[in-house]
Amino acid sequence: MEFKKIVVAVDGSDASQEALNYAVDLARQSNAALTGLFIIDGGWSDYIGNDWQSPQNVRQEFLDYIHKEQEQQAEAARQQFESVVDGIKYCKFTVLAGDPIEKLIKTANAVDTDLFIVGQRVFQVSGRPSLRALGKRLAAKATRPLMLFP
Amino acid sequence: MSDTGFFQKLPRALPGLALIVITMVVIRQWIEPWMGNAVVFGTKGWLIKVTHLNYILLGIIMGMLYRNVFFGGKMPEILSDGFKLSRLMIKTGIILLGSLYTFNAIVQLGSMAVFLIGGFVVLTIIMVLWFGTLLGLDRSMIGVMANALSICGVTAAVATSPGVEAKASHVAYAIATILGFGILTMFISPFIGHALGLTDLQYGAWIGTGILNSGQVLAAALAFNPNVAPGTAVSVAEIWNIMRVISIPFAVFAVTVWYWSGKVGMEGAERKGLGTLLVEKFPVFVIGFLGMVFLTSMGAFGDVGLKGGPPASETIKMMRLWMTWIFGFGLIGLGGYIDFKELRQAGGAPLKLGLIVGVTKYVLALVVVFLIKDYLVAI
Repeated sequence: MEFKKIVVAVDGSDASQEALNYAVDLARQSNAALTGLFIIDGGWSDYIGNDWQSPQNVRQEFLDYIHKEQEQQAEAARQQFESVVDGIKYCKFTVLAGDPIEKLIKTANAVDTDLFIVGQRVFQVSGRPSLRALGKRLAAKATRPLMLFP
Repeated sequence: MSDTGFFQKLPRALPGLALIVITMVVIRQWIEPWMGNAVVFGTKGWLIKVTHLNYILLGIIMGMLYRNVFFGGKMPEILSDGFKLSRLMIKTGIILLGSLYTFNAIVQLGSMAVFLIGGFVVLTIIMVLWFGTLLGLDRSMIGVMANALSICGVTAAVATSPGVEAKASHVAYAIATILGFGILTMFISPFIGHALGLTDLQYGAWIGTGILNSGQVLAAALAFNPNVAPGTAVSVAEIWNIMRVISIPFAVFAVTVWYWSGKVGMEGAERKGLGTLLVEKFPVFVIGFLGMVFLTSMGAFGDVGLKGGPPASETIKMMRLWMTWIFGFGLIGLGGYIDFKELRQAGGAPLKLGLIVGVTKYVLALVVVFLIKDYLVAI
């Protein structure tokens, strides 16, 4: 099978390194375009929805703090991606915002994604507990080629 | 996050609000009366007598079902603004709850609450710092768990995290642990309370001290006794809860000092003083609650209906009826924020720490309430 576009989820931690290395090797071999993807979790406001007592400014300070931390993680992911893509002609790094699992499923099922490569522990470094089930949910919902790393 | 005003948001909130209101009306007008009359295992009203399900717990269950079953794990966009208003509803209910007390009653209950809450906050923080270190948890995680387990659950986690540089994943696991434990205790506490024959005062003091998260304290109190009147479980538990809320800035200060005292390298550290924390993190609804207590004490709404005194005025009775509906609406909304996907995946050291400390606190609070029951004076 020939791949024209490969997408790999990258989070700047060890959890995405193996998947990234494999994606880079595959992109080189097949001369495919490679996209690194990081997702800033947009579900935090909802996640702390059970807190009815905090004043608005405290909630906002918390959400800004989490957002800033995730932006730093996105930067680490970018550096991780850029450190290994030498020699690949078409490569780019993308940061999306929203529900990570929904975004990953959407990316995996996009018609122009020939192969989506994901480490099952990706995004746990900055994410909510439900992301531990990311691999399982992706495997259940993906309609296009998907490669899961442990 | 949208910065539009309340009245601009209101039309967008209408679908969610409508669902909440319709759900509570159906529960109170049809489901609860049906449960009270249904004969199960040969006993009329078994469903209520044995399960202790009332409109409050049914409302929370419906909120959870909406999110996790009917809507596949996520509130639809069209309903989310309405469900967000649940926070405002509960705050409004708590402010109105101020009409249950006079200043004398507040001083009487508050002094007992200060003793119990103060003792438990300090003990729990020490316990978490010790156990957390023993379990090898990250220092920032221990800081978040210390306040979340000792004061107001999610609220305390939100208030503490920026000051102790908590990682998002740490906060997330702390919140999942607290919520999971809170939901469990919310359902079992009414059983235990009735089985042990606790009075409203004893029960309110126990859950106000022992349950980790404030939303679940409110729900567990109303599940034990749905009446909103002086001396009922909710009137006691919420005084305890307000004491906990007031202690947030102090606990954030203490834990932040502890965190930075053991940290090597202070570059980029932004530490706030107690004065700043008091201004920034003090929950404004407490002032509204105290304002309502003041107005009630001045007789603005007529007689309160304290034990041995004249009956409650019509205004006060009407406000109490509103409160039952407002709390019912608000708790459906809070139920809609309980995500089973997140709770299922909670685990690891935070869960261990949460269970050890949470269970200890829950049981110890019950033991202490039993030991001091002769000193607990009903209002």
